Amino acid sequence: MSNVLKWEKDFETALERAKKENKFVILDFFNPY
Amino acid sequence: MNAVTYSDEVVINFLNNEVIPIQVQFDFKPLTTKYNLQWTPTIIVLDSDGKEYNRTVGYISPDEFVPFILLGIGKGYMELENYNKAIDTFKRLIDNYPKSKATPEAIYYHGVCGYKSSHEPKHLKTAYELLKNNFPDSDWTLRAEPYKEL
Repeated sequence: MSNVLKWEKDFETALERAKKENKFVILDFFNPY
Repeated sequence: MNAVTYSDEVVINFLNNEVIPIQVQFDFKPLTTKYNLQWTPTIIVLDSDGKEYNRTVGYISPDEFVPFILLGIGKGYMELENYNKAIDTFKRLIDNYPKSKATPEAIYYHGVCGYKSSHEPKHLKTAYELLKNNFPDSDWTLRAEPYKEL
């Protein structure tokens, strides 16, 4: 079974996780249409 | 992006394990205003304060995706004056993706961080020589040209 990409949906949560886990954030703006 | 780049195992593993990936729609305010979104896909490398270090607009292939992110992370560490981590990140890019479009810039900044951390000009000269030998037509080789005199 292949891996699934786990996107964060909330920006503030992403920043908090980045601070806690000492990581950078990758922000992807997409168009679903 | 979903059909190709975000379906690639290397890209998925990198995003899941080494960074915090967040995906938002093109009309999601206030982020679209804050980051001056003009077109999709736009992918931006940020630190934990939301400061931007690298961005790409338009489709990016799986082969170029991780190098693009590593370049942004390296530039982030450089601006944060964490030169050891910046050097490690640029080196990882250079060693693992020697033919990437991001590699010439990584070689340039690897030299810059080497110099900033040691004040030894040899790091700048080495960067120029690597660029001249491997990427003679790159803009980054031109930018490094003054270092050949060091």
